[in-house]
Amino acid sequence: MASLPKRIIKETERLVTDPVPGITAEPHDDNLRYFKVTIEGPAGSPYEDGLFNLELYLPDDYPMEAPKVRFLTKIYHPNIDRLGRICLDILKTNWSPALQIRTVLLSVQALLASPNPNDPLANDVAEDWIKNEQGAKAKAKEWTALYAKK
Amino acid sequence: MTQMKLPATTISRNFIDNPNYEKEHSETNDSPNTSTFTLTDDIPNHRDSLINQDSEFEIEDFMYSDDDFEYDDDYNQTYDSMLTKPVKRSSKKELSEGAVPNLSYEILTTQDIFENMLARVDHLQPIFNMPREDILLLMQHYDWNEERLLENWTERMEELLVEIGVSQADVRPTDINVVKDTDEINTSETKIERGITYKEGFNCVICCEEKDTQTFSLECGHEYCIDCYRHYIEDKLHSGNVITCMDCTLALKNIDIDSIMGHNSSKKLMTSSIKSFVQKHNKNYRWCPYADCKCIIHLSDTSSLAEYTRLHYSPFVQCDTDHRFCFNCGFETHAPADCNVTNAWVKKAKKESDNLNWVMSHTKECPKCEVNIEKDGGCNHMKCSSCKYEFCWICEGDWAPHGKAFYQCTLYKNDENSKKTQNDELSKTMKKYTFYYRVFNEHEISAKLDWKLGQTIGSKVRALQEKMDVSWIEGQFLTDSIKILNEGRTALKWSFPVAFYSDASHNLTKIFVDNQSLLSKAVEDLSELLQIKEPEEIMKKRLEFYNKSGYVENRMYALMECGRDLLCKGICKPTDQIFK
Repeated sequence: MASLPKRIIKETERLVTDPVPGITAEPHDDNLRYFKVTIEGPAGSPYEDGLFNLELYLPDDYPMEAPKVRFLTKIYHPNIDRLGRICLDILKTNWSPALQIRTVLLSVQALLASPNPNDPLANDVAEDWIKNEQGAKAKAKEWTALYAKK
Repeated sequence: MTQMKLPATTISRNFIDNPNYEKEHSETNDSPNTSTFTLTDDIPNHRDSLINQDSEFEIEDFMYSDDDFEYDDDYNQTYDSMLTKPVKRSSKKELSEGAVPNLSYEILTTQDIFENMLARVDHLQPIFNMPREDILLLMQHYDWNEERLLENWTERMEELLVEIGVSQADVRPTDINVVKDTDEINTSETKIERGITYKEGFNCVICCEEKDTQTFSLECGHEYCIDCYRHYIEDKLHSGNVITCMDCTLALKNIDIDSIMGHNSSKKLMTSSIKSFVQKHNKNYRWCPYADCKCIIHLSDTSSLAEYTRLHYSPFVQCDTDHRFCFNCGFETHAPADCNVTNAWVKKAKKESDNLNWVMSHTKECPKCEVNIEKDGGCNHMKCSSCKYEFCWICEGDWAPHGKAFYQCTLYKNDENSKKTQNDELSKTMKKYTFYYRVFNEHEISAKLDWKLGQTIGSKVRALQEKMDVSWIEGQFLTDSIKILNEGRTALKWSFPVAFYSDASHNLTKIFVDNQSLLSKAVEDLSELLQIKEPEEIMKKRLEFYNKSGYVENRMYALMECGRDLLCKGICKPTDQIFK
C-alpha cells in the first residue's frame, strides 16, 4: 500500500488521543484508510441508548474528496436508506478539504438528533415522518431497541 | 456573433468554402454589406457566361441593367435568388416558411455567450456599484439569470453578498474545523490580504505537511499551501460553480484562480459555467449534435415551435459549420419524417439486433459470383470487380433494366415476400422492417460517403480554377450540387421510416412511394455525375449539374410535402404495436 498521507496519520492519532464523546473510530489493521465507527444515539432522540455501527473509508483523493460513510446497523431514519447510505450535504456537494473525519462523524450524529424529512433519501420513511411524526419516532425507537442494542 | 435570419445567410454561406475568404475579409467580416461588394467583380462575368451559354433558365435582364444599384440587404437577397436561380432555392422558402413562422436564431459559442455575459455585467455595473469581478461572481452564482439576481439584490443586499462570498460576514467564521494544534490562523489577527505569500516552515492543515512553501489565503485568513489549493481548484474547475475558500463561503475571483493556477485557468471555469447554463436553458439553447462541433444555437422565441409540431414540420437549424439539425429533437435533419417518426424509428433500430443489420448492410455478395463486396462510394450502379457483372446495389438485380426504365428499387415487394412465408405474420413484419432498415442504412452509408466526397470538392473547384481558368464563383455549382446531393440523400433516407410507418394500402402512401422512387432516381443520377473527376468533363457537363441538382431539389420538396401530408392526415403513425 502506498504510504499514508500525513494528514490521515495525524487525524487518526487525534481520534485516539482526543476522542469525540459518543463516537469511536478505529482504523482497520489491514487498511488504514478503512475505519470501524460507532456512534451513540444522541440523548433526547428516538435513537437514544442505541449504538450504531458504521464504516468509513477515505478514498485515494482524500482530503480533496469526501470520505465514504455508511451505516451498518439497521436504522429507521428519513435521510438514511435501507443500505445504510446517508444523505448529508457535506458528504457530497458541500464537502470541503477543511472538514475532517471527526467533523463528518459529528455531522452524522447531529443528523440523528435532527432528521430532515423534507430532503429524504428513504422516501417511505420520510413520508411516514411527515404524516405521523409520533408514530415514526416510535418506530425509530423500536428499531433502535431491536437492532442497535448496546 | 451571428445574428441571422435564414434568407440573408444563404449567400454568405457560399463563401465558407473559399479558403481565402477569411483572410481577405477578416477586417470587414461582420458586416453583411461588405461581403456583397466582393461579389461585384464577378457579377458581369457570371451573367455573361450564363447568357452566352443560351441557358434555358430565365434571367431577368433588368436586374443587371441598373448600374446604380444600391448594395443593401434587398440586393443581397435579390442577388441570392439570381445566383441560385437554376436550383430554385426560393421554392424551399415558400414551402417551409409559408405555413409556419420563420425561425430566427443565433449561432453562438461558449465564448460568445461569455462575452455576452460580460456585456451584461458592464450594464449592471452602475446598479451594483462594485468591481466587475464581483458582479461576475454574482451572475455566475445565479446561473447568469439577471432578473433573479436583481430581485434578490434589492431585497437583501448585504445577506446576498455574504451568502455568495463576495464579502465577509461580520462575525469571523468559527474555526471548529481547524486542527487545534495549528494556531496559524489565530496568530495573524491583523488585517489579512488576499493573495499568495511565501512562508518558511508553513504547516498546512489540509495536507498536514510542514514545509517552506507559497501559501494562499483570502481576506478570511484561511491559509493553505499552494499545492493543496491547486489540487482543490483543479477538481472544481469543471463543475462551473463558484469556488469558495476551503473553510468558509468567501469566493475566489477569477484573478485569484489565475494567480494560483496560472494564466487562463479561470477561463475553464467560466466555460464550464456557461456550459451548465446552456444545459439548463435547453428550451432556448441547443448544442450542435455533431461530434466536436462547438456551436450553440440560441432560439430566443420558442413560441412558434408548437406550431411546427402541429403541422408536422420540424424546426431545422444550421450551425456555422453547416451542420443541419432539428432544434426540437436534436437529431440530424429528418424531413419528411417528423420528430415522432424519427424517435420511434431510432428506438426501433436500436432494439433490433444491430450486428446482423450491420453486416447485412455493409457487405453484399455479388449476385453472380458471390464475392463479398463493400460499397465505398458512388451510386448504386455496381460493377463486380471480379466477374464484371453489373447490378443494382439495392435490389441486387441486373442493372440493365434500371438504366432507362422506371426505377423500382424503393418499392417494397409484397408478393415476393408472401412466396416465402405464408402465414407467419411476425416474420413478415420483421422482413418488412428489415427491408426498410436496410435501405435506410444504405442511404446513410451513401450519405457518409457523399460527405467525404464533399470534403474533396474544394480541391475540385481549385482544379477548375487552375486548369480551366474558371472563376471561383463559377465553380460553386459543384459545391452547391454536393450540398443538394447531401440534402436529397438525407431526405430520401428519412422517407423510409415514414413509408414504414404508413398504411401501405392508402393511395397517398402509394403516391409517396412513387415520389420516393423519383427522388431516388434523381439522387443516384446526381451522385453519378459527381463522380466525374476530370475538370474538362465537369465544365462540359455544367448545365447537367444545374439541371440535375435542381431536379433533386424539386423532388425533395415534393417528397417532404407528401410525407407531411401523410403525417397530417394520420396515415403515417409511429406505433410499435403493429410491428411486434
